[in-house]
Amino acid sequence: MTKQDQLQQILRELKQALPELRSVVVASTDGLPIVHDSADAPRVAAMAATALGLGKRISQTTELGALEETIVRGNQGYFVVYAAGEKGVLALAAPSGANLGLIHLEAREFATRLAQVL
Amino acid sequence: MEPIKIVVSGPVGAGKSTFIRTLSETEIVDTDARSSEAIGKALTTVAMDYGTLRLDGQLLYLFGTPGQERFDFMWDVLTQGALGMVLLVRGDKPEGFPQARRQLDYLLSQQPVPYVVGVTRQDRPPVWGPEEVALYMGQPPERVVGLNATDPGSAVTPLLRLLELMLGADAPS
Repeated sequence: MTKQDQLQQILRELKQALPELRSVVVASTDGLPIVHDSADAPRVAAMAATALGLGKRISQTTELGALEETIVRGNQGYFVVYAAGEKGVLALAAPSGANLGLIHLEAREFATRLAQVL
Repeated sequence: MEPIKIVVSGPVGAGKSTFIRTLSETEIVDTDARSSEAIGKALTTVAMDYGTLRLDGQLLYLFGTPGQERFDFMWDVLTQGALGMVLLVRGDKPEGFPQARRQLDYLLSQQPVPYVVGVTRQDRPPVWGPEEVALYMGQPPERVVGLNATDPGSAVTPLLRLLELMLGADAPS
């Protein structure tokens, strides 16, 4: 299986584990989409990389330790960005009623799997 | 005097992060990520750079943008409230000039502020000089200066020129 196939497979499994997700984008840390199910992937990928990069720096500057995730919460949902190792970014969009605890639990595990492939 | 916010923009590899690192008198904020494209360097800015310096008694806040056009939303974010702009272009990479010109037009349409174009890598000939770049970009010669972003004495020249232009515009006639 090619790397791209493996990543697609992980993406499918993530969406099965969290069917409430609106969209999923996996990007490089410099903001290029790798695998995704979003029509707006190029823009979302760039923004996810920015959110992660800035989140890491804020976490460091304000002495919060290593970054777990960056969360944007609107009144209609969440956009959550996780590091997938050194090279990748995992970004999820979820509606406002979503179970954020469950999302974190699953997403962190999937981020680790993505990191291994990336 | 109120601090002045200055945006530092320009295409990828122009030397924006280096410029801010060289000039800042306070600890910089940078947001480098590993580059997955062949851009001639290992790391690239994904959100912003930030540094401060005092010049002729005037406190300047420098906000550097990412260079790639996919990060243009950060150009919008960072130009908010800016009073001046330095657009850097790499003097030994003329293929980057069209993007630099587009970027300058875009940024000025969002935030019409005094600006200076800085042509970097003047220490590494063969390199385009500021006069040639001014002609190419259709800019008045006084708005384009040459610099070496790694040398504090040289890197400061676009800021000095910018302050001249800004204070000149404000000065009562």
